[in-house]
Amino acid sequence: MLIFATSDKGGTGRSVTSSNILYRSALQGSDVCYLDFDFGSPTSGAIFNIPTTLHGTTQGGLHSYLHGMVADPQRLEIWQESDRSSLRSRPPGAGRLVLLPGDSGGGEFPITKENTERCARLFLHLEEEFDLCLVDLSAGRSYATEMVLAATANEALRNIRTRWLVFHRWTRQHVLAASGLVYGERGILHTGENHGHDREELANSLRFVRTAVVNPDSPELEGLRPAQIAWLRDVDRDLSELASSRKVGRTLLLGSIPLDPVLQWREQLISDNDVWSRRIANRETLEQFDSLAKKIVDDAAWETL
Amino acid sequence: MLTFGEVHTGLLQNSTSLPWDATAEVLNLLVGEQVRRSERPMAYAVSPNLLTSVDCRLPAASGKVIRGVGTVVSRASITGGHVAQGSGHAVVVKSTANRRLSWSHYLTRPGTIEAIGKAVGGDIARGFAGASQPMGTLDLGAISGRTLDAVQRSTRLDRHPPFRTQRTHMRWVVTPTDEPGVEATGTFRVATPTLRVLELVVPREHVGAIVDLCEDLALHDWLLTTLLALMESSLTGPGTRAQRIARLRPAIDTLLHLWMPAARVDEAVQPVWQSLERRPGFTRQWEASVSRIRDQMTLGTLALLESATA
Ligand SMILES: Nc1ncnc2c1ncn2[C@@H]1O[C@H](COP(=O)(O)OP(=O)(O)OP(=O)(O)O)[C@@H](O)[C@H]1O
Ligand SMILES: [Mg+2]
Repeated sequence: MLIFATSDKGGTGRSVTSSNILYRSALQGSDVCYLDFDFGSPTSGAIFNIPTTLHGTTQGGLHSYLHGMVADPQRLEIWQESDRSSLRSRPPGAGRLVLLPGDSGGGEFPITKENTERCARLFLHLEEEFDLCLVDLSAGRSYATEMVLAATANEALRNIRTRWLVFHRWTRQHVLAASGLVYGERGILHTGENHGHDREELANSLRFVRTAVVNPDSPELEGLRPAQIAWLRDVDRDLSELASSRKVGRTLLLGSIPLDPVLQWREQLISDNDVWSRRIANRETLEQFDSLAKKIVDDAAWETL
Repeated sequence: MLTFGEVHTGLLQNSTSLPWDATAEVLNLLVGEQVRRSERPMAYAVSPNLLTSVDCRLPAASGKVIRGVGTVVSRASITGGHVAQGSGHAVVVKSTANRRLSWSHYLTRPGTIEAIGKAVGGDIARGFAGASQPMGTLDLGAISGRTLDAVQRSTRLDRHPPFRTQRTHMRWVVTPTDEPGVEATGTFRVATPTLRVLELVVPREHVGAIVDLCEDLALHDWLLTTLLALMESSLTGPGTRAQRIARLRPAIDTLLHLWMPAARVDEAVQPVWQSLERRPGFTRQWEASVSRIRDQMTLGTLALLESATA
């Protein structure tokens, strides 16, 4: 299965959230890989703690591959290459966790017939060996997004299950932006249609994920004054209405990740240890990652609406 | 001077064993040429030979720049309706000229690469079998990989394979010998989790039989590698014994009956298989794995019986 992670705005938490989701699905036993298609700023090496690849690789990453400079892009086995002790060995029952990094100093590039064809070939190849391939795209209406829409329209990829996750923060601007990215002019559906996708089918394979959400009912907000809490509730309700009217509402919501103190300070994977022993990250955050990892492969969560 | 090649092996991306008509279509990579097939001892079909022209640096352990011009032969095959292979190879000979000749010259010698200038067979062989080569060096693996891709991307496949698994790559190099009475021999090395290297010495008159042999070895190495990987993930994973065995089921149904070493291999190069059976001992390890699976299944059945009578 191919999962495309996108967002309209930069800095929404797309990379951190999708890395954590993928990490949980590896722990749940799936063989998974992460493709860093954010060609302008490849950050995945840092999130997975690969010391040699903090800002992308120099060993023939996805950029070099798509340009035809290497026959196959570099792969990093996280359970072997990470320098974080909790990631360094494969827990019993866990699946493979592989990173295909972007190149350092890469940058965006326009799509061509050749790089789209290479992209399609890569997806087909990875599909042979991984249960789940998650592609982290650049923010907004990027060439990367257009390339994968063109590649997945290829007839050979028709039978590969493909799903889209659109990440956004829970604010007015972000809700509007996420809606525009999907339904707007030159948005995902529009671009997909131009490349031969069926609009309705594409829309049905797409769900939203809210990031860094402050839940007004959270016990953590106990320190706030009643007036503040009441205000938060109002805002939350207004946002929900706005989201529904822009087709970003509950029916298309796959999950909500709470604002987490650890993620606020650092882009990283949250381990069981961070929650249960060190108690620096919130249990709720981990549970949401776990639940999303299950939902992305659970057909019931993706039934046609 | 030498012959070298690389075989890529993977699981055909189809839910069931691919029937003959679909197989013929999938392997029909060259219009107007026949797909060959045989049914015994196992369904096997192979595409026509494809040619890729090359003009690039040849591998060399010494790091010397050796230019090679000519063509690589590649072909794709499907065994037992489940296993797909892409295989490329070429014979390297010394060029009689000191420069590149017209393409018609090379096209009349399909599968031959001429090394221009000073070149030593052993240097090229060690370079090919050794560590990675500088960019721009002949990449047989890329040719084999693309040949396998051509099969795997066919729209005749339903793309719902019984399980997911890695491809393996078998890189092989043959040095011909003219010494009388010498038998074909080989050494086999696991270079990385997915790359194997096979170095062979073969009487010159039998070099032609080597491609089939290497494809057969690659097939069996892949079967073994895949079975071990599936056992590892199924048997160490969570769940009851019955659940763990259930996870192995697709592998049992798809792979176990495909083990048939040297079934399509020429007598003359059989000694290579025999020596590899002594070390590393493919069949020994395969049989040990199969009996471990059988034991697990028996224990699983016993447990079921016990809980039924308890
Ligand atoms: N649930 C969360 N709680 C608190 N902070 C978060 C949360 N999720 C992400 N963040 C933080 O938000 C910042 C942006 O996250 P990230 O880099 O994943 O965003 P992005 O959408 O991939 O950005 P870009 O478009 O630049 O690639 C990071 O500092 C990250 O740690
Ligand atoms: Mg990012």
